[in-house]
Amino acid sequence: MPISLTQINPDEVLRYMGTPPDQAGADLRALVEQCAREVISAARPRWAYRVFDLTPEAEGVRLDCGLLLPGEDLKRHLRGCRRAALFCATLSAQVDALIRRAESGDMLRALALDCCAAAAVEEVCDQIEGELQGQFPGCFFPFRFSPGYGDLPLTLQGPLLNLLDAPRRVGLCASSTHILTPRKSVTAILGIAGHPIEANTRSCVGCPAHDGCQYRKSGGHCGIS
Amino acid sequence: MEFLELLQTGRPVLLDGGMGTMLQAKGLPVGATPELTALEHPEWLLDIHRAYVEAGAQILYANTFGANREKLSHCGRTVEEIVPAAVALAKEAAQGRALVALDIGPTGQLLEPTGILDFETAVDIFAQVVRAGAAAGADLIVIETMTDLQEARAALLAAKENSSLPVLVTMTYEATGRTFLGCSPAAAALTLEGMGADAIGVNCSLGPREMPPLVEELLQWTTLPIVLKPNAGLPHPDGSGYDITPQEFAHSLAQLTELGVQVFGGCCGTTPEYIALLRQALEGRSVKQIPRHVPAAVCSGMQVVPVDRVRVIGERINPTGKKRMKEALKTGDVDYMLGQALEQTEAGADILDVNVGLPEIDEAEMMVRTVKALQGVTEAPLQLDSTDPKVLEGALRVYCGKAIVNSVNGEEAVLDAILPLVKKYGAAVVGLTLDEGGIPKTVQARMDIAKRILDRALFYGIRKEDVYIDCLTLTVSAEPEGAVQTLEGLRRVKTELGLKTVLGVSNISFGLPARPLVNQNFLTMAMSAGLDLPILNPNVESMMAAVRCYHLLTNVDENAREFIAAYGNAQVSTSITTTGTAAPAPAAGGKRDLTEIVLTGLKGEAGPATKALLETREPMDIVDNVLIPALDRVGADFEQNKVFLPQLIQSAGAAQAAFEVIRDTLAQKDGGTVSRGTVVLATVKGDIHDIGKNIVKVLLENYGYTVIDLGRDVDPAAVVEAVRKHEAPLVGLSALMTTTLKSMAETIAQLHDAGLPCKIMVGGAVLTPDYAQEIHADFYAKDAKESVDIAKRVIG
Repeated sequence: MPISLTQINPDEVLRYMGTPPDQAGADLRALVEQCAREVISAARPRWAYRVFDLTPEAEGVRLDCGLLLPGEDLKRHLRGCRRAALFCATLSAQVDALIRRAESGDMLRALALDCCAAAAVEEVCDQIEGELQGQFPGCFFPFRFSPGYGDLPLTLQGPLLNLLDAPRRVGLCASSTHILTPRKSVTAILGIAGHPIEANTRSCVGCPAHDGCQYRKSGGHCGIS
Repeated sequence: MEFLELLQTGRPVLLDGGMGTMLQAKGLPVGATPELTALEHPEWLLDIHRAYVEAGAQILYANTFGANREKLSHCGRTVEEIVPAAVALAKEAAQGRALVALDIGPTGQLLEPTGILDFETAVDIFAQVVRAGAAAGADLIVIETMTDLQEARAALLAAKENSSLPVLVTMTYEATGRTFLGCSPAAAALTLEGMGADAIGVNCSLGPREMPPLVEELLQWTTLPIVLKPNAGLPHPDGSGYDITPQEFAHSLAQLTELGVQVFGGCCGTTPEYIALLRQALEGRSVKQIPRHVPAAVCSGMQVVPVDRVRVIGERINPTGKKRMKEALKTGDVDYMLGQALEQTEAGADILDVNVGLPEIDEAEMMVRTVKALQGVTEAPLQLDSTDPKVLEGALRVYCGKAIVNSVNGEEAVLDAILPLVKKYGAAVVGLTLDEGGIPKTVQARMDIAKRILDRALFYGIRKEDVYIDCLTLTVSAEPEGAVQTLEGLRRVKTELGLKTVLGVSNISFGLPARPLVNQNFLTMAMSAGLDLPILNPNVESMMAAVRCYHLLTNVDENAREFIAAYGNAQVSTSITTTGTAAPAPAAGGKRDLTEIVLTGLKGEAGPATKALLETREPMDIVDNVLIPALDRVGADFEQNKVFLPQLIQSAGAAQAAFEVIRDTLAQKDGGTVSRGTVVLATVKGDIHDIGKNIVKVLLENYGYTVIDLGRDVDPAAVVEAVRKHEAPLVGLSALMTTTLKSMAETIAQLHDAGLPCKIMVGGAVLTPDYAQEIHADFYAKDAKESVDIAKRVIG
């Protein structure tokens, strides 16, 4: 199932850039649209997934392969889900290169490209989520949850990618400091429930940057998933 | 039979098939570390290896694919425990009926610039595996499933430096014909053959049906035996297996002997059944011998530039006679060089010369930094320009691709110091036709030197195609005969020695009026005489025009496509103004003042407006009374949410253009600087999210601070060193991830331990004022604007 990236929401990009969309001038909008085209053309979106059975435990949630996803927040989030799809997605190293190139010339363009890429990853994840939901008709899904949300540690990035064989299958790796590389990438856990579950909406509540967040200042979300 | 003997038979060679698939069938759980099997379930490996021997495999891959210290770090076992055990099991199963390969896969981390793994660290990780494998008695080394050419290079270098075993290297490509990181088979072939691989090819990701285009590309760029070890077809979308049968696999793969492929095997999804059928299908087949000639070419990891037409080498990254570049080298401002690189490639340079030699800096260190940074932003191949073998070796190690070394000359000592490096790292080399006796007067004497350089290069095993001769341009005003001599030398090197030629062009006109006219015409004459690689300033349009015209008139530019693309809409002027440099074009509107220009962020107008203002006002007066107040106004509006981050950056960009003009003016007068003081900036160790830090940098620079930007993923010790060296009163540290806040705390601790009197400001998405205090930072900057306020408080 190839994912195709055909559009990036400019308002979302503007919010990531710290600008309320209703206050963006025509020049800035034109820049965002140009950068969105460049990101779309550089991106080679790839993804991989795998479905696991879940067992809640005292320390967290255990996948049937044996890996424990520690902490209270994900456990609470997945209440009612007996299975979960683990997935990862990346826009590819070419997008990183595009941003790097811009950074040595024009910082505004670099910022716009960076924010377009952040919005593009979200777009890709939305498509993946749609694809996965389609595979489980009649099921119910809380929002996707990633390492770094709440108390789910970023140290899980490597083990999660390993379960997906992601370095080989999609070229996505975690650094020794648990950063996803290429940068514009995501790992996420999508709970799957057989019965309606308590509605959870994605929010910044669990985010450690909650207090000083610049994206929130302009009414948006960081896209760091 | 040894591996190299097997290859020399010219007959097909059979490798084994998949290991992971087989281990899972034995019961290895998903997500487990397969390499532990050598210690925990040796009988599984014996079974699998034996089945492949029975199937007819002549080479077994030991189960060491991920047996490197990075991947093993969480499993409590060492490389020295696992590698010998795995090699021994393969040898036990082989019983002398098959050779055993030490199998080396990727580290599992991405190297710089996409990731943070340093090249030399990667070499070291692989070296440990190589030493363990060689000691355990492996017959050869295979490096496989690589998607980053730089990582493949690191492994190959480790293999060559730590063993004398033959090495087979395969990369994994997507259906687009590129690896995940964008490397083409052509770039891989040029680079890996250059560095001494014994066979190269493709493994994993695709099936046999997808192999022919990749093979055809490889064949054009290497004379080495070609290896294919594809998957059992393309994977089913649900992950349940692969899309072709063992029969189809064997049939379609064996046919490729017709293309000249010699070494065959299977990767993911293949089993002993596939290999047995493949052996049958290969029976009686001989490998078609296709004459191969690899043309002269250089490459980066992304881009191959064949020297099959005039290729322009951009000369601008070189401090000779450039004050601004010298300043950039002294402050370690690599961004300046990146800007020069992008400007030149946009103007049409195919290759970039890199010279960072300056007496007062550590050239070797600067060269490595510059080459790494350039590779992050440009795909153009590089020409590494230094006379110091140490500098060249440092650069060649980290350069990903096939570089040009500039240069050697006819001196014995120089040839013997540099040519072995050219060979080891698979570069091409420029040979200058001079020696201890200087530049010979006669054409024949220059020819003799060229011949001597060629012979010595061949002696060291360098291909003739990789030797480029520079017949040297002499200043025609001082040496009236010089131009004719140079052109004649060029012609003879080309026809008599059959070598590619290189020439720095612009020296010809030194001391003359109307230099562009002389340069352009000399360039045209040199191209007609056979010049392949002019070294010039591509930003000078008349020079690029000469190259485009030459291609048009020699029918290299078919149907004038490139020429029309360049000039289809252009008004070309051929006149030369006699007043020296042309006046800058007046800005549109012309009357906006600098304050307004900065407020509205009109970058293009800022330079000319500053020039105009400099006629009546002093540089520092403009900085203090025009630029800073304008930036302050934008900053205040930003704080009050009247303008937003993009406008802030835009205004900073306009101010930056103004500052560039002021800096140039001051540099020309040799009269002081605009600097208010120095700020060291770094994104901390382990973190690569540096866009926020870069925005801070732009703002600080535009308030007149000198910024020493150490980049991202910066070691705490490097921050301490920079603060000490530049006596910086302020340091800014950024981190975006919670996991790298530790590094920030560590950096601050080291700064304090060193007893340096600097203040420390920190920022980044996950930081809070409380946490900043906890890790003993002096200031927390919530955004780029606030970092300027802090700098004002600390430095003034």
